[in-house]
Formats: sequence, C-alpha cells, structure tokens
Amino acid sequence: MKTKSEIVLLILFISIFMILSVVSQGRFLSFDNLQIMAFQLPELGMITLGMMVVILLAGINLSITATSALSGVITALFLTNIETGNICLLICGAIAVATMFGLLSGLLNGYIIAYIGVTPILATLGAKILFEGISLYLTKGGSISGYPKQFFIFGNGTIFQIPIPLIIFIVFFVITYFLLDRTPWGAKVYSIGSNPIAAKFSGIHVKRISLQVYIYSSLLASIASIIMISRYNSAKAALGQSYLLESIAAAVLGGTKITGGEGSVLGTLLAISIIQIISSGFNMLNVNRFITNAIMGLLLIFVLSVDYLWGMYGQRSSIKATNY
Amino acid sequence: MKKILEVRNITKVYPGVRALDDVSLELNQGEIHGLVGENGAGKSTLIKILAGVIFPDKGEIYIEKLPQKFSCPLDSLQKGIAVTFQDLSLFPNLSIAENIMTSQNIEEKRLILNWKKINKLAKGIFEEFGIQIDLDKKLGYLSVANQQLVAIARALVHDAKLLILDEPTASLSRSEIEILFKSIKILKDKGMSILFISHKLSEVLQISDRVSVLRDGKYMGTYPTVEITEDELISYMVGRKMHYKRYATNKPGDPLLEVKKLSKQGNFKDITFTLYSGELLGITGLVGSGRTELAQALFGINLPEEGEVFIEEKKVQIKSTNQALQYGIAYIPENRQIEGLILDKNLEDNIVITILERITNSMRLIDKNKKSSIARHWIQKLNIKPAYPNMLIKQFSGGNQQKAVVAKWLAFNPKILIIDEPTQGIDVKAKTEIHQLLKDLAKEGLGILVISSEIPEILAISDRIIVMQRGNMVAQYKNNKVSQEELLNKAIQKTSQ
Amino acid sequence: MSRLYQRKEFNILMIIIVISMLIALKNSSFLSVDNLLDLLKNNTVVGILGVGMLLAIITGGIDISVGAITSLATVIVGKALVNYQLNMFFILIVSSIFGIFLGLINGFFISRLKIPPIIVTLGTYNLYGGLNMYFTKGTWITNLPEYFNSFAKIRIIGIPIQIFFLIGVILLTYFILKYTLIGRGIYCIGGNEEAASRVGYNTNNILLFVYAYIGLMSGIAAVVHTTIVRQVAPNAFLTGYELTVIAAVVLGGANILGGEGTPIGTLFGAILLGVINNGLILVRVSTFWQQIIIGIIILFSVSFDVLRNKRIEAKMFKIDVQ
Repeated sequence: MKTKSEIVLLILFISIFMILSVVSQGRFLSFDNLQIMAFQLPELGMITLGMMVVILLAGINLSITATSALSGVITALFLTNIETGNICLLICGAIAVATMFGLLSGLLNGYIIAYIGVTPILATLGAKILFEGISLYLTKGGSISGYPKQFFIFGNGTIFQIPIPLIIFIVFFVITYFLLDRTPWGAKVYSIGSNPIAAKFSGIHVKRISLQVYIYSSLLASIASIIMISRYNSAKAALGQSYLLESIAAAVLGGTKITGGEGSVLGTLLAISIIQIISSGFNMLNVNRFITNAIMGLLLIFVLSVDYLWGMYGQRSSIKATNY
Repeated sequence: MKKILEVRNITKVYPGVRALDDVSLELNQGEIHGLVGENGAGKSTLIKILAGVIFPDKGEIYIEKLPQKFSCPLDSLQKGIAVTFQDLSLFPNLSIAENIMTSQNIEEKRLILNWKKINKLAKGIFEEFGIQIDLDKKLGYLSVANQQLVAIARALVHDAKLLILDEPTASLSRSEIEILFKSIKILKDKGMSILFISHKLSEVLQISDRVSVLRDGKYMGTYPTVEITEDELISYMVGRKMHYKRYATNKPGDPLLEVKKLSKQGNFKDITFTLYSGELLGITGLVGSGRTELAQALFGINLPEEGEVFIEEKKVQIKSTNQALQYGIAYIPENRQIEGLILDKNLEDNIVITILERITNSMRLIDKNKKSSIARHWIQKLNIKPAYPNMLIKQFSGGNQQKAVVAKWLAFNPKILIIDEPTQGIDVKAKTEIHQLLKDLAKEGLGILVISSEIPEILAISDRIIVMQRGNMVAQYKNNKVSQEELLNKAIQKTSQ
Repeated sequence: MSRLYQRKEFNILMIIIVISMLIALKNSSFLSVDNLLDLLKNNTVVGILGVGMLLAIITGGIDISVGAITSLATVIVGKALVNYQLNMFFILIVSSIFGIFLGLINGFFISRLKIPPIIVTLGTYNLYGGLNMYFTKGTWITNLPEYFNSFAKIRIIGIPIQIFFLIGVILLTYFILKYTLIGRGIYCIGGNEEAASRVGYNTNNILLFVYAYIGLMSGIAAVVHTTIVRQVAPNAFLTGYELTVIAAVVLGGANILGGEGTPIGTLFGAILLGVINNGLILVRVSTFWQQIIIGIIILFSVSFDVLRNKRIEAKMFKIDVQ
C-alpha cells in the first residue's frame, strides 16, 4: 500500500514536469531553471520535513515559518553586529546561534504541548504570534542585511555544480529518514501518533518523545533559515511565509496522515518536488504570484479532501472495544 | 397485568460467542423489574438492543403488544424506551436544567427557547424526586450520583413508558441510593415501568417486584422478589457447570511483589498481598471494585497515595511506566484494542514495540532480521493464526489479538505479569490456549497477577485468590478450593455485612 | 446576585477598569469621553469579528480565514460604492451575502468532508487572499461617495454609529446563542460532540451555520471598517489580523477547549485588547511590542485553561470506596 502511493506520486511528478516543459516551450527544462529550482527546493524541503515529523505525532506546527524567520533575524543580527577578524569563527558562531534558537523554540512548543497539554494548534499559533512579534520588533519592520561574503555559500554556493543548500537538505533528509524509519525512536513516534494511549501502556515515554519531536521540527526550521537568509541576503519577519501552507500540503500529499501515525519520508520528498515545480513553473509562466497563492490554498484543501475520501473507501480502523 | 414489553427469541452472535441465545422476557406495566447475571451473561447486549444501539440477529420486540424495529437510538426513545447508560451522555458545560431538557427541546423544534418554562419543567421533575439542587449550576460540578439523577430526569421528560437503568448505583453512597430508590418508586406510582440492572443483588431484591436471571446469554427464569433469597438467586446466576479445565496448582517460589496497605482515595484502600514467583494470583470482583485501578497503580499509571510496594523484598516507588518496566513489571490492559494494540500497525510491529532498543544493531538502527526472528518466535510459541507478521493487527480475531498483546509483553521478558481480563471477548478454544499459556509461564518462574470478573476462570487458573469489592480486599484464599457461590457472594454487596 | 461576581466576564471587566485606572494615572486624557469613545470605535471591527470567531471556538474549531474574507468584502463594498452607488442598506446586504457565501465554503469542507478547521481556513485564507490581491492588484479605493462619508460620521446621542453596529451584532449573537436551538447546539457540540448528535442535533448543519455566521460577521465588519477608514485597502486584514481576533475571544473568557464563552465576554476581551494597546502607545512602548504581548497572552491563557481543566478532572472520584 505504501509503495503504491509513492508510485502514484512519481507519476504525478513526471506528468506535471512534462506538462510544464511543454507549456513553457522548453524553458522549464533549461539548465538555469533547473538550477534555480535546485536552489529553492531545499528551503521548502527542510520546512516540510519539520512539519512532517510533527504531523506524524497527530500534531501540527503553525509556528514553523515564524521560527525560521526569527531564527534568521537573530542570526543576521549576530552576523552584522559582532566584530571579529576571524570570519570562520563568526560563521560558526552564527550557525550555533541559529541552532540554539531552534532548540529553544522547539523546547517552548514541545513543553507547552507535551507537558502542559495545550493542543498543538493553539500552542503553535501562540508561538507564531510571539515569534513574529519579536521578529518585527528586532527588525523594526524592515530587513537586516550585509553579511560577510563567505556566508553566501550556504544559499548560493555549489560543489561540483550541485547547490550547497541541496546538499544540506539531502543530508537532513537522509538523517530524518533514518531517524523515523530505522531507529527505535522513530518507531515510537509513529506509535504515539497512531495511538498515544497504547503507546503509553507499552512503556513509551510519550511526553519526552513528543518534546523531542517538536525540538527536531524547530531545529530543521532554524537550519533552513541559514540557507534562506544567505540566499536572499536579508532577514525579515515575513521570511518564508508561503512555506507554511505549502509544507502542510506537501506533507499530506506525500502520504502523511493528518491524524498521525502514518507517513512516508520518500513520499514526502516526491510531494515536495511536486509542489516546488508547480511553484516554479507558475513563476516561469508569469502566473501572478497571488494566483499561485490562491491555487496553493485550493491545492491544500483538495489534497485533504482526497485524503478524507480515500480513507472513507479504504479500511479505516475505528477503535471500538468488543465489549458485550 | 398489562404487558409493557415483551422480547421473544432474541439472539445476538459475535464471532465465536453467543452473547444472547434465544432470550425471551416480559415486563408488566408499572412494575420494577430487576435483571441480574454475571459479567458476560448478556445483560449489556440486551439493553443495547432495547435502546436501539445494536440490532438483534434474530427475535422480536413488542411494546404494548405492538411489534417494533429500532433503527437508531432516537427511534427507541420515541417509542417510549428511555435508557440511562453508565456513561451518561451529558454536557458538563451546560446547566442541569438544560441537560434535562435537551432532547425535549430538539424534539419540539422550538424556534425560540423559553428558559423560564424550561427551568420550571426541569424543576418540576426534580421536585418529584424530593431533591434540592440548584438547577442553574453547571452539570460538570455535580457528583456522579447527582449526574445519574439528571440522566434519569432527562429520560423522563420524554414521557417514557419504560425506563431502563444500567448499573445506576455503581458509584452511589448509601444515602444517595435511598434517594434514587424513592425516586424510582415515585415513577412507578405514576405508572412507569422500570428495568433495573445491577450486580448488587440486595438492592435488586429491595426495589424490584420481580427479577429475571441471565446466564451465558440464556434466559434462566423470572421470580417474584418476595419469594426468592439472595443465595437462590446466586445459584441461578452461577449454575453448576464448570466451564474451564481446572489446572493443578503450582508451588510458589520467592516473593516477587509485596504490597502493603496500598491506598488511593476514590480508587482502593488498604491493599495488602504478596505475589510469589511461579504462582498465579487471581484477583476477582465486579466492575468498579478497584481491580484495574490497583493494577494500573502497580504499573506506574495511577500512582497510589499511601502504602508501600516491595519488589524482590526491596522497597520501591513506581512513579512511571518506565520505572515499572525497569522493575520487570508488565501490564496487559483490559481494553486491548485501545490500550493494548496499535491497530494501524502490523503484527510484527506490535510485538516488538516493547523491546525496540533490544533489536538494534551496532549502529543503533533497527535490525530487520532480529526484529522478524523475535516476532516469528513469539508468533509460533503462542500459536498466533494466521502466522503472517505483516498482516495488520486489526484484521486478526480477538483471541489472536490478545495473544499478540501477550506476545509483546513476553518478548519484554518480564518478571511480573499483570493481566487484566485475559480472555474477554475471546472464543472458547483461544481461552483455553491462553489459560494454558499463563500456567506454563508461571511454571517458568513468572509471577502472574490475573484480574478477571469471570469467577470460573479465576477458579480454573489461580493458585490463590483475592476478592475485591468497592476498593477493599474483602477476602483472600490460600488456594483455589473455594466455591463459585462463595466468591460471588464476597464480590457482590450483601445486606448482611 | 452573588453569582455575578463569580462570572468570568465580570472579572475581565474588573481587569479593564484596573488597567484603565493605571493608564489614567500616567495620562489623564485617557479617561476623557472622547478618547473612550474613540477607543471603542476603533475596536468595533475586532469585536464584530470576535463574536463570529467565538462561535467557532465554542465548538472547538477555529477560523483563520476571517481576515481574508473581510478584506475581500471591503473590496466588494468599495466597488459597489464607487461603481454602482448603492445605498447603505444594499451595501450591507451585498457585503453580508458575500461573506456568508465565503463562510459556507469553509463550513462545507469542515462539516461534510471533516477536514480540520485549521487546515481548511488556512487554505481559504490563501485562496481568498490570493484572489483578492490578484484582482485588485493592490490598488486602494479612495474616492468613496459623499453620502457614504456622511453616513460614517453619524453620531446618535453622541455615540458613533459604528458602535451601534457592534451592539447590534452582540445582541443578535447573544440571542442566537441563548435562545435558539442552533445556539444551544453550538454549546452542546463544544461540550460533548458525540453526545450532541446522539441527543438529536444535526451537528453537520450546525457547523455549517457557524462558519457561515463568521462570514456574515466579516461582511458586516467590512462595511463598518470602511466607514471608519473611509477607504479600501485590499490587504488591510491580510497581515495577521485573525490572530488579534482570536486573542480577543480568548481574553474574553472563552474556553479554548470549547463549550464556554459569551458575546459579552468577547466584547470585553476586545476592549481589553484595545485598552492594552492604547495604554502601550501612551506609555510610549513601541508598537512592535503589541504582537509580542498578544502572543504571550494567548500562550498564557490557553495554558491556564488547560491546567484548570486538568485540576477539575483529577478531583473526580471513580469509585465510592468504603
């Protein structure tokens, strides 16, 4: 069943790719365009991975893009305000700062959700508002730029023609795959998402693992921010805004059930690619970006409607006790 | 005597079990009719059929001589049957008055609600009970007992002809029960018929005019309460048949688990016993006697407030499930589908869930070979059928699902196994297999705490027996040479205390 | 009478008074009638949208597309005024119907296709917002007809007309919630959704109504907002406004887990937000702090609600131990 949907996604990807190539009269296939997409995809990819792990737990992280933005802002402030001759140290420091913020923000979300018990929607909504507010405050509504030249490689550099951001993304993709599908920790995450009560009764530390998932989610977001501010050479409160909706759509399209417990890392990768080529394709065809927004919104609803209807026809387990 | 309700030849079959087998019963109008039987006798099934929640495979229902077919709960409500289940279906965030009038308001399809009238009607019903409760208060603040009364009041608003009360006194105090009985008698005087289901035989005999007995899904008879004693009632409920193979008792080894005066308010009180390795200690009692709460306390879920626990003669404090696991305690819960299994996963995944850390390779990743070999080992040992590790667990039968839960804990290699209602909802053949399994495990040195409300089961497999009632230990037997009747007596509240 | 002191809404009112006093100490002009009326007028939109959002939150759902619906509605209002010179009555009708229509779309996906409200409204937020910005290209409409501007300045017994809209909406919502079956059904769904359908409510239709009602409120709010600013900026509500609305509802005592909340409470919540904002400005705290404070407020009050619920649950005894 799992591989079947992944094949469907692959077919979908190839079809849309071909349609876009034809409609754009070949421009879509140009090396330039492919390269641009290869640079853009990692951002969406990281954010989607961060969203996916949380959805697996039957939760959601509405603050993920705000985390990314704030992380970027803080890192940018660090880069532009710390005086030191040693560029290498500065950049390492910047990465450390971003990582630290990722851990802390994930800790905040995770604690409120797993230990206090607030529903993920509200907790991450509150965090979203909070982080956006802090970003606005720190940037005074504007943006922060002017990083050392060497910092640009994160968002713009290549190694053997392969974009560095893509490499970073692939690394984290592989890490996430192993974490989720090959470690005991991952098996526990799936179990908690599917049935937290049985998971608890089986000796799984539900609270602790949930906390760790939210931390990992925020961590991915903050690493994405390094790529983003490097590529745009600026950090502002609205950084990556559109990724929020796209990441949810990508996660669900990729086979992650919105109710948790089921997902496919490979499927998510294919879904990310699909969303990316749609986004880039529309851009290339000069479709107004607002229409793209609107269509993404429609796509999200569509993907979830199909998810629901599919579940209705398939054999959804209804957890009923055979008491008589 | 006018007959208000008649059921004829009602049969309901679940896979492997006949919940109701050709049951025929009649109720007279204006009578309080008690219904008794052990767990699994079929009482809940019958009530659910009368309430329109489930449908019989065979048989007919007649209300005032007219045949009925209920297609949903609202149907039976409209035909005059009102049921208060143990889960009350009330709204904690609304006022008491509103809770009472909810269904009525909907039925009347009023455009604008007249709160004065609603409150007055609700008050009127409650006044008939002779109780003073501020009806503006939110339901959530009421005690369970009073919520019970509200549920009954709501049922009454519909001009019910027959009121079915399912275990209404389960969490009530003496004085609250008296109030409830007074209310029931008032209803009877008004011509209502009442079906009163309870485990508390003394209460049933006190309030009912006649009482019917179900045993193993079969109807045993109806008797006027003035002519029957509790002991006779028990003997009809229990019967003389032995259902299970009686196993030889084991000789106990060293003390594994000792519990001293364990207490938790509202759950259990002064629990003291010792579990030895190599023995099966059976705990029996009715639903609500505190057995599951006690078991969960030992597993780190329902932390006790007082008392001491010793594992292998060392004092411990079990504050979480992880700690319980560290001490080698495993718990197989009562509700296997919600608490015991992850239904969306396959058999293999469910079995290894407790030992994930043990099936890793040198790189801390799950070793697929180790995983499948361990799973296969337990599938074979417990004879789980069909032996497909990759089949979704929800597609297995109840008996095999239970074996999977047992397998997952055996894989963990515990020292102490607590198993709650081991064979609920399982066919006879699987039951025997599980009993044999438990006996073998004990022989291998495990200490097993078996909790069951099926007395014959407890007698068949336990080496020693404890009876609980309302959170207290009321009896402890050094062996299993005790009669079913005596056990049931101890479990049920008797008037002569 | 003693019941009054226990009610959440009363507590919020007390908090408003206390904070107002504190602000007045620093800046005496705060308590002037003009300032207070202004404060109220500036918060009418939050209030109107708030009572709509309240319905969703009572049922345990949420609607983050409310800003987008309102924005689109303001554009419709602007076009209707400039191109068709419709009178105020028809403007209100057109805007309302438009809002209801958009709200019904939300309601459909939430009630029939069982998609979580957060996701549906996230989708429609982008859908409506995107379409809005595309068709208007962001152009503002500033040449509103004179009769509209005159209408906007009307005061009855000295009180701006916008406030009357707010009062009207609150009364309507109060009436629906308290005196109609649909209203009680909304509370039932919030209290115990399964029991609500068992007891006989058509939960699907009630949910449809809730989100359509939010649409209606958006339509009305669009008109009121336009009378206040007297121009139409298509992106007016597209920058996180819905979160302010949620904050107002939450501050107003609605239980985030559903089942509790009143229109008066939401009104007080909106006023409290306005007072806090106003106070921050007067004390010269930068406006960027506003959002931070709102975020902290939401996090604190939802945590508080959850912890309170947990304490109540822990007190429920399971067995009558002798």
